[in-house]
Amino acid sequence: MIPILDIDGYTLEYRTRAGAVRVLDEVSLQIAPGQVLGLVGESGSGKSSLAWAVMRHLPGNAQELSGAIRLDGEDLRSMGARQLEAVRGRRIGMVFQDPATSLNPTLSLGRQVAEVLARHRGMSAAAAWQAGIEALRHVDLRDPAALMRRYPHEVSGGEKQRVIIATAFACRPELIIFDEPTTALDVITGARILELFRRLREETGVAGLYISHDLALVSRVAERVAVIRRGQVVEQADARRIFRAPTHDYTRALVQAVPRPERRLVTDGPGGPTVLAARGLGVAYGRARLFGGKPVMGARGVDLELRRGEILGVVGESGSGKSTLARAFSGLARFTGAVVFEGRALASPRQMDRAYRRAVQIVFQHPDASLNPRHRVGALLARPLRLYGGAMAELPRLLEQVRLPPDYARRYPHQLSGGEKQRVAIARAFAAKPALVICDEITAPLDVSVQAAVVELLLELRRRHGTAYLFITHDLSLVRQIAHRIAVMRRGELVDLLSVDALGSEAVHPYTRELIAASPTPVG
Amino acid sequence: MTDVVFRLLRTPQGAMGLVILVLIAAICAIGPDIAPVDPEKIDFLGRFRVPGAAHPFGADQLGRDVLSRLLAGARTTVPMAVAATLLGTLSGAVIGTVSAYLGGRWDEAIMRTIDAVMAIPGLLMALLVVNTLGKGSLNATLAIAVAFAPGMARVTRSVSLAARRQDYVSAAIARGEGGAWIVFREMLPNVVAPVVIETTIRVAFAVALFATLSFLGLGAQPPASDWGLMVAEARPFLHQAPWMLVAPGAAIALTAIGFNLLGDGLRDALNPRDER
Amino acid sequence: MSASWLIRRILLIAYTLLVVSLLVFGITQVLPADAAVMLLGENATPAALAAVRAKLGLGDPAWLQYWHWLAALLRGDFGMSMRTGQPVGPTMLVALSRSLLLAALALALMLVFAVPLGLAAALRRGKPIDLAAGIVSYLGVSLPEFVTATLLLLLLADRLHWLPATGYVPLTDNPVDGLRHLGLPVLTVSLVLIAHVSRMVRSETIDVLHSDYIRAARLKGLSPRRVLFGHAVRNALLPVITIVALDVGYLLGGIIVVEEIFAIPGIGRQLIVAIESRDLPAIQAGALIMAATYAIANFLADIAYALLDKRIRYD
Repeated sequence: MIPILDIDGYTLEYRTRAGAVRVLDEVSLQIAPGQVLGLVGESGSGKSSLAWAVMRHLPGNAQELSGAIRLDGEDLRSMGARQLEAVRGRRIGMVFQDPATSLNPTLSLGRQVAEVLARHRGMSAAAAWQAGIEALRHVDLRDPAALMRRYPHEVSGGEKQRVIIATAFACRPELIIFDEPTTALDVITGARILELFRRLREETGVAGLYISHDLALVSRVAERVAVIRRGQVVEQADARRIFRAPTHDYTRALVQAVPRPERRLVTDGPGGPTVLAARGLGVAYGRARLFGGKPVMGARGVDLELRRGEILGVVGESGSGKSTLARAFSGLARFTGAVVFEGRALASPRQMDRAYRRAVQIVFQHPDASLNPRHRVGALLARPLRLYGGAMAELPRLLEQVRLPPDYARRYPHQLSGGEKQRVAIARAFAAKPALVICDEITAPLDVSVQAAVVELLLELRRRHGTAYLFITHDLSLVRQIAHRIAVMRRGELVDLLSVDALGSEAVHPYTRELIAASPTPVG
Repeated sequence: MTDVVFRLLRTPQGAMGLVILVLIAAICAIGPDIAPVDPEKIDFLGRFRVPGAAHPFGADQLGRDVLSRLLAGARTTVPMAVAATLLGTLSGAVIGTVSAYLGGRWDEAIMRTIDAVMAIPGLLMALLVVNTLGKGSLNATLAIAVAFAPGMARVTRSVSLAARRQDYVSAAIARGEGGAWIVFREMLPNVVAPVVIETTIRVAFAVALFATLSFLGLGAQPPASDWGLMVAEARPFLHQAPWMLVAPGAAIALTAIGFNLLGDGLRDALNPRDER
Repeated sequence: MSASWLIRRILLIAYTLLVVSLLVFGITQVLPADAAVMLLGENATPAALAAVRAKLGLGDPAWLQYWHWLAALLRGDFGMSMRTGQPVGPTMLVALSRSLLLAALALALMLVFAVPLGLAAALRRGKPIDLAAGIVSYLGVSLPEFVTATLLLLLLADRLHWLPATGYVPLTDNPVDGLRHLGLPVLTVSLVLIAHVSRMVRSETIDVLHSDYIRAARLKGLSPRRVLFGHAVRNALLPVITIVALDVGYLLGGIIVVEEIFAIPGIGRQLIVAIESRDLPAIQAGALIMAATYAIANFLADIAYALLDKRIRYD
């Protein structure tokens, strides 16, 4: 049987000022009809370049050194521009990572669906429009006729991704390439998109190349999984087997890094006195403007407390108010209710004195934004030492504590990798010898293996200093590994606050149950 | 600082702009000393002399050497434009920063007013101010500064607000830093670069505007050899002696191009994330 | 675009004009230590000075002078020219109509050249056409109008005799000759605009061509032509509307210069004449009308943008 997609010994380089960089090295992959192959790799592994190579959409400095890419036996590399246009969108469909940027903001959704049908199936404008309505109906979009006339900014992220999927499936392609289609979406929305994909697969029998950084997720949608690292496919195996019996060291490390709720990383319980508490905490955003506009509630009526050494996980979707909570605790947002610290009830950020500021530290999601690009690492770390009365001699030890060499003090943030930058941000928080560190999605921009290392670092620092964490994340599996208790937020309200062991019980809020069901856990 | 110059020289625009401007700065500094002839020496026998060995750029309607006048005129043209821009930038930056700092309704009111003031085109504003203060180089400088201030206020405010919203400022607030630290150590270094770039590019406009005022008879006054004035004086003799016009015109253009190139070069060189 | 947005936008224009009127009046009449001396010069006779003071109400407190002036303005009365003794308003409006013709032709010429030039430069990035467009735009942005004007005069009128050097012929008298006389001024002011706008079109187009949705359109199998004209051009040109509207400020400044050089009796030349003869009411009227033109141009651009860009909801 001829494979739908046959990549054979494919090698690709990018010519850069620093010389040639090999992004794909002798890659060979086959996808049989009706089969879905998962391609897993971290950022910079070359997984996206492979997708562009299949779509024949490579940047100008790309140089293909060897190999063949065949679609149903036909060599794509030898095709001319005209032939390729007839392949793209017709025989190979593609679903992109970020639906917010993949649709043209100034064209109606209908036009963007219909133009593919008109282009590849020779339909008239009216027929294409009708077929477009059907295509949208088929991906479970409500009132498709009305949706056709709307513009991307008028619909939700999940709806946009459905429109893109409808477009990809519209011409009944032989192969669909998915490039991280759920990464930019909320957990529950992403889970529904995956469900849709599963159904469409069954109906159409399409073959797929599913690209992702998330091994757990890929093992659930694909039959076979290929692991790519620095341009080389290091292992290719059955999806179930890759988790149970990874053979390559790198795969093993990846599997190890995947957060699994059942594998607890924290064994001791929280002990000691209360560090910080919230009483009826609420935050309103925006101000009443002269012409219309009313304040939006970021959070309301939140009660919780943290004890010494406790890890409290806060989960929820984007806009649920979990980051608002962090802003209130770190005095960045005005709040109602009270923050209780060392027996004192604080009613506004102004009452947060130096002792409070020192005890409660925050680490932000994006180190690129939270580390001032014009200060050296040494200056960044020296500031809290000076502010809270520490010795400059501690600086090398601070770096060492987050496993960075002491000479990094002379570097600027942009000279560091993403994981290293986040370590600097963590070191800055710990320079204050805090009682509580608020971690606001700090692992979200990091690769899985880097994420695992950062989490391990945090746990070690906790063991050493007895620090409590308010760990805000959208990754339920991760938080179930480390947190003592979990707070679930939705639309600004705390819907659940329970011990991690109680998550499986019947007592949980229905929304929490939905979140658990939507979190990807590895099969096998 | 040396670091920035080094990076600037690595960008083609920056290197070109720097070379042009160093040349012009040198002319401003020693121009009158290296002028082959006294720029105001009148020679009726040598009127409209064609460019040649005696007068590389020709002679004007009074037989004065165009090259010498050009070399002497740099001093009255370029430093004035730079001073006007700096003055305009400084006052604009103060307004913009105060507006961003006050925020809320005050910010809105100040910015609406700035927008309203910007409805008066720069040249018109300069004309009105010169009309009131009287003709002359110094007044023209002031007029250009006034004309530039609203635009610079807008630029400064928007970059300050952008810096204000960054997480590193949030981190400083959360750390309990005082206002002075946040403004001067966290925000300012990130605000300065875009403002410097904008200022550099505006010097090019100021050179053109200053020359235009002189050309219209409202800036430098005869017998000064200001470049704009030289073009104005050359205009009646366009047919007989086009070199009188081309030489100062090219000098103005070269200066403006130099500052434009330098601004574009700085844009690349001052980007901290740019590895090269 | 909602009614309340329109109302707010119109109120903003009113505020703009109020601020401009305050500034213009303040700079021209209040700021000078003695406006009468400034107008007539140091050697004026006391009787003449007194007459001017009485005419302009210079004895009154500044706010009262302003109020009288503003009240008259609101009645449509810009005052009497001190040079000609004629009402200033009608003279200025007739002059404005000539300047608007010049501006409209310059904008049209700009669009014809700047958009294709910018697109071509963006599509052939780093190729000779891009380089040429870059040099042209550097020159155009850097050359002041009076230099461009005199150089064009030298080349096209003095040497090649393609276009008449100076003067103005009303289009109603002789359309062909009228347009020929507008040739050099239009060319001059449009050059700066072409330089600036083509650069903006280029950078906007490059940004759009690098966007995810253009990649998505290509990967749907659309032809390059369809991708460019169906998806990219519109999005690249939308922000250019705002840039052109802001450039109207430069355009008006340029018009002052070219009308002076080419002897076109438009509002710019009227203004220069008024400044030279210290004709206070004419200066005030000219400045106010120019600022109003700018404010209205930006208002129209906002409306155009709102109608064309579906993302923006003005409410």
